[in-house]
Amino acid sequence: MYTETLIAVNIGLPVVSALASLVLSDRRARAGVVYLTAAVLVVSSLLLYNVGGLELNLGGGFEIAVVALDFALLLYFMYQGFMYRSWQVLALSLAQLIPVAYFEFIVEGAHVEKILVVDNLSILLTLIINIVGSLVVIYALSYMEEHEHHLHLERSRQGRFFFYMLLLLGAMNGLVYSNSLYWLYFFWEVTTLCCYELIRHDGTEEAQGNALLALWMGLIGGVAFVAAMFVGYNAVHSIALTEMMAAPLSQGLLLVFALAALAAFTKSAQFPFHSWLLGAMVAPTPVSALLHSSTMVNAGVYMLLRIAPVVQGTTLTYIVAFMGAVTFTVTSVLAIRQRVSKRILAFSTIGNLGLITLCIGLNTGLSYGAAVTLLAFHSVAKGLLFMGAGVVENKIGSRDIDDWEGLLGRLPLTTAVMIAGMVSMFLPPFGMLLGKWVAVDAVASTPLLYGLPLVFLVVLGSGATTFYYAKWIGYLTVLPNGAKMSAERLETPYRVALYTLLGVNVLISVGAALVLSNIVNPITAASYTPQMSTPMGGVDLGFTSFPVLPLWAAGAAVLLIGSWLAKMKGGAITTPYLSGENVADKEVTFMTTGDSEVAANMSGTYLASSIDEEWLDRLAVYLGTAIIVALFIAEVV
Amino acid sequence: MDYTATLISAMLALATPIIGGLLMGVDRKLTARMQERVGPPLAQPFYDALKLWGKAPMISSGLQPVLAFGYLGFALVAAGLVTFRQDLLLVLFVTGIADICLTVAAFNAKSPYSYLGGRREFLAMLSYEPVMLLAYIAIFLVTGSFTIRGIYEYGAPLLLVLPTAVAAMMIVLVIEMKKSPFDVSGSGHAHQELVRGVFTEFSGYTMALIELGHWTKLATTLMIISLFWAPNPLVGAGISLTMFFAALLVDNLYPRLTWQRMLRTTWTVGFALILVNVAALAAGGVI
Amino acid sequence: MDKARLKSLWVLHYDCGSCNGCDIEVLAALTPKFDVERFGIVNIGDPKQADVLVVTGPANRRNQRVLRNLYEQMPEPKMVIAVGTCACTGGVFHNCPNVLGGVDNVVPVDVYVPGCAARPEQIIDAVVLALKKLSGEAAEEEG
Repeated sequence: MYTETLIAVNIGLPVVSALASLVLSDRRARAGVVYLTAAVLVVSSLLLYNVGGLELNLGGGFEIAVVALDFALLLYFMYQGFMYRSWQVLALSLAQLIPVAYFEFIVEGAHVEKILVVDNLSILLTLIINIVGSLVVIYALSYMEEHEHHLHLERSRQGRFFFYMLLLLGAMNGLVYSNSLYWLYFFWEVTTLCCYELIRHDGTEEAQGNALLALWMGLIGGVAFVAAMFVGYNAVHSIALTEMMAAPLSQGLLLVFALAALAAFTKSAQFPFHSWLLGAMVAPTPVSALLHSSTMVNAGVYMLLRIAPVVQGTTLTYIVAFMGAVTFTVTSVLAIRQRVSKRILAFSTIGNLGLITLCIGLNTGLSYGAAVTLLAFHSVAKGLLFMGAGVVENKIGSRDIDDWEGLLGRLPLTTAVMIAGMVSMFLPPFGMLLGKWVAVDAVASTPLLYGLPLVFLVVLGSGATTFYYAKWIGYLTVLPNGAKMSAERLETPYRVALYTLLGVNVLISVGAALVLSNIVNPITAASYTPQMSTPMGGVDLGFTSFPVLPLWAAGAAVLLIGSWLAKMKGGAITTPYLSGENVADKEVTFMTTGDSEVAANMSGTYLASSIDEEWLDRLAVYLGTAIIVALFIAEVV
Repeated sequence: MDYTATLISAMLALATPIIGGLLMGVDRKLTARMQERVGPPLAQPFYDALKLWGKAPMISSGLQPVLAFGYLGFALVAAGLVTFRQDLLLVLFVTGIADICLTVAAFNAKSPYSYLGGRREFLAMLSYEPVMLLAYIAIFLVTGSFTIRGIYEYGAPLLLVLPTAVAAMMIVLVIEMKKSPFDVSGSGHAHQELVRGVFTEFSGYTMALIELGHWTKLATTLMIISLFWAPNPLVGAGISLTMFFAALLVDNLYPRLTWQRMLRTTWTVGFALILVNVAALAAGGVI
Repeated sequence: MDKARLKSLWVLHYDCGSCNGCDIEVLAALTPKFDVERFGIVNIGDPKQADVLVVTGPANRRNQRVLRNLYEQMPEPKMVIAVGTCACTGGVFHNCPNVLGGVDNVVPVDVYVPGCAARPEQIIDAVVLALKKLSGEAAEEEG
């Protein structure tokens, strides 16, 4: 009874809170609801972790409710498609409505006994959804206040905003517990709904257009799931995932998994579906932090993680790996070209999801472990970065990172959090680097024929990642000398969200060995032999090792000694070298011809002459489409 | 736990700045001789560092000395990873932290020269990091391990199986030593590039720290190159010193090239060298 | 420390409107024929890392600001060597309207090297004198 309550809370409470937020007009009451929901969800996820797995059979009433809601949802999508003249949305919704009706009423195949199955993977996702998600929703309280203030809105639309944000949390939880393909598809479509509504929240034409793009790409995934239901039912006379995974691998089942992979690619914005995530950056930043980095896009890789064990050794899995590798490299290179902060983060997200996809596709015990590790650490770090970016955007009114130059002086607290977040994305001894390290080891361990091109891609992408994050960190610290750091006023919800998530980030990185042994390895152990052992707080892969704790100690020592030395020796603050032409009392200004004074203007490097963004984007679409075509050809041949 | 071995490894790691400094001294002496000059004494770099330490401190911001020490500190950590025979990928990534400390410190001082130097330093990192990664993966394919311990356990000299990978490391060495043709971000003494490029705004003790860090990185890279003949450390050291000498020769023969050339060369020549090597090994059935 | 200072002297070379005659001689000192690098002397372009400011040419109204700025960006201990007659007293140009005279009108000079142009041997001698002065200072501090 206890565990069932936890499930009900995880799925149901956010829905109730969502409705409450929609109905309540008082800001403080709504804030209270949000805080309360957040607290309960965090506790509930930790308790669920403690409990372990379970299987649940819900009564027919629930199944009928889901069917009814699903139809309502599809009709709503069709309505939206009609309203905004989007034939793609209309067609794709119809393409789901008719088959689903057929399946439900004529075939009557939708009933599944064990309709909810909670295992270690579901629990990890719940932890991510509830903890990171709760912090983002709290953060959104302050963010939306400032956002609506900037937009001079007369009537607050926050009710609608929090409705969809909270609804998303519930839907995600439902998604990761679903054993019935139909229920999974339903919750998947609810997340698509939340995504659509949240992207178009501000109501501008651009927002509406981008929201429709996200919608129809997401609906492709929906259609894929519907097709998978038919094929799967045909193959094993059931749409329960457990049944499909337990049955011997037939051509029909392979097609099911190919369709599931396609849906996963649409949700995780892998090629050729990456454009919707980039377009989604127009939404208010909490949306980006929640949906498009740490929670919703994880649904795609979650799907891949689910089906991976059963497709080991197939062509399908290597094509998935290749898709991930290509996405990782091309997006990492494209990120160098970006000037808009959220676009850089978006490309980074797609790239890291690509890396995770690559690891899943490689389908060994080691690579699976790498994928889960990367998933966990990425969600935390990326959520943190998006939230920080949102605060900066609100405070200085710009997303262009050239305007962020010297931010360390203007917004020291937020910038410090941002820098810490970026460092945690690509430098040791943080968890992301640990995951990437395992991933490189996994890719290098693949048989050479497939492995070598993948290795090549990973190596390029890794170099590009270092480049764009490192230069961003550099820009943030450009300070006119002698500049005093201003005192920054950071509102409480921002503080709570940023500092907590930063704390979590550091904690799980220091305790990476515990995360691996207690969370990642049990998940891997369900279908593989875990390859990562964790002696003495570090990670050992047999053929190599990562001394986590000694590196943390060394890093801390370096920073402490450095700070002590700086304090001890200090020094007079000096003007920069400008060939002796410094103009006194003016920041980095020099005298030039005709005694005129010029302020030195240093702009960012985007390698525009070396990287052709349009060409690469077109390559992404063509290559992605080709890979997906190959994916299906490989199944039917 | 073998305390003697641990002590030796730790001592060796802490000695890398000194080893690097002596090598820099040899560098300047040999360069001078190549130019038909007498050249400074071998201990010159140490005099330089001491003198710098004794200057009145002048800093661009409170952050700069911390980052300058970070450069030295993380370079020492990387050296420690090498002397303790740890994972090569980690050595690369930790050295990356050191480089980022340097470049962020260069950016931090809002000065056009150090800013441009910092940007070029990032481009240098972008150039050689993938090549080194690929080289380490090639080593993994041969020895079955990413650790230095694994290279020792492999037994046979790597140079015989990975000759062109060593050549690729040559390009990396030239960039790391900041020698022509790839000293775009801040050259050695008396070679000005953007005044002193990424080093422009360092002075006094912060410059001394940077110098020490540079020596440490040099010594570490040469130690890694010496692993290509692991069974006999003397031969390995010989290989390192030969490549060191070759880098000096190249420096004196070639002018400075643009960063575009640097990026293009490392990514084509560097990659090609290693991939050809790996392909040959695969075809020959070695891996 | 003092020994290190004597053995490692980094030079910042600034031309204050000279005819380049002395500059050529200064740079000649770095060439293989005279090779001052064997004394640890390096022509570093960055005042922040230099110990000695070698100035040629007379100080005038326009470059006094630059000269002063460069001098101030050098950390202690530092020395100034004025090379050539123009740098010492203004030379043949001392009467010109924009010329202030020798460099010592702007920065404190430690060693004067007269000559037009000053020979590399004289310049090296000046550096030795500067070093003696530096060690002499050191001796004075100790004594």
